[in-house]
Amino acid sequence: MVRFLLSLGVALLIGIGIGLYVGWVIAPVEYVDSPASALAQRYKDEYAVMIAAAYAQDRDLTGAIERLRVLGVENVPQYIQEVTERYITNSSSLDEIRTLVLLAEGMGRLTPVMEPYRQVTLPTQGS
Amino acid sequence: MTQTPQPYRPPSDSEIPARYRRPRRQVSWIGAIIGLVLGIGGGLFFAWYVSPIPEFDNEPWQLTADAKADFVVAIMLRYSQDGDVGRAVQSLIDLRLSGDPIQTVADMACSLASTGYANNVSGVRAIRAMMSFYQPQGRTGCADSLIPADNVAATDVIEITVPTNTPTLAPPATKTPTPLRPAGGSPTPALVIVPTSAPQSDFIYVNATTFCDANASGMIEVYVYAVNGATGIPGQAIRVRWDGGESIFFTGLKPERGAAYADFQMEADRSYIVDMPGRADPLPQPLVAVPCTTPEGGRAVISYRVTFREA
Repeated sequence: MVRFLLSLGVALLIGIGIGLYVGWVIAPVEYVDSPASALAQRYKDEYAVMIAAAYAQDRDLTGAIERLRVLGVENVPQYIQEVTERYITNSSSLDEIRTLVLLAEGMGRLTPVMEPYRQVTLPTQGS
Repeated sequence: MTQTPQPYRPPSDSEIPARYRRPRRQVSWIGAIIGLVLGIGGGLFFAWYVSPIPEFDNEPWQLTADAKADFVVAIMLRYSQDGDVGRAVQSLIDLRLSGDPIQTVADMACSLASTGYANNVSGVRAIRAMMSFYQPQGRTGCADSLIPADNVAATDVIEITVPTNTPTLAPPATKTPTPLRPAGGSPTPALVIVPTSAPQSDFIYVNATTFCDANASGMIEVYVYAVNGATGIPGQAIRVRWDGGESIFFTGLKPERGAAYADFQMEADRSYIVDMPGRADPLPQPLVAVPCTTPEGGRAVISYRVTFREA
């Protein structure tokens, strides 16, 4: 009987360990119907870039801010500044950096590190 | 009659039952299996129901329907900017929309156009972006009829052209008698002076750079050079216009900065259009006096350095 209980106890502990590993690591719970605030950072960044691209076209700052609010960030301009600086630091796509810098500038968040990416269009002669 | 006690004699192997002759195992396999099953079941129950991992690092397909709609709008706005159909479709596939993803965009546009979402310019612009995506792919939705199908982007300003064909009363006859024309004379044709604008190509805009300096916060520094790009030209009028005002200033009034130099102090958060009136076209973009951070970490308003050169 002692041998049975000892085996049961040891196996129970091993089983709990296996169950927790599977339930938390191998096959964790997958949520659906999640808010945008629960998105992984890379998808939040991708969303911000898409909104920045739209802003680059229509310069609708109010619309851009409204759309970015769904990410659940408390300070949208601050968030855009952080994303922009992170993209610059990570040497991401130049086009994406430029659109983000444009949006950051529109929100009054132009910082020295963004300066080289500002777009100042030079007209052609005679235009 | 007495029995004499027999001395103890250990049983021989043949006398012990076979089951008692096997070596004793250290593990009870039945107990181990039961424990393992119970342990795994309990661990999974705890990990999935009692204390699941917190909700983070989700992917777009896990979003709520509303959040997915926001994501679709963002994809369409990006598409309207870069025109990359493949990228837009891939992003839609990543969202795992049910059915045909392009038709789903049309349905979402229909849904948005039917609600208050279309009550502002930004919303209409987003719906138009969606329409510009699904219509070329042969899909249709109710947004096609709800949102005007013109290609003109909505604007905040509605320009109304006052019709000019309203009949006007004939002017009253003048009391001043007009002199009679001499007989036989030919009528003098009316002299029509057509105002012409001054040529705009005396100078060309070369470039505009920015800098952030607490000692020159919010300045527009303008340099006007001769055709060689090195000789400053003094006395050139520079015009700066903003919402509700304008200012004209001249180069060369600060000799310590050179004959080519002129400057203007901006107010924070205003936009300014710079040109040389009658001599050079305005800059293609307004200069916006936005806050900036100096290299020393201080706050200032961004400054611009604009250069014109003789054509």
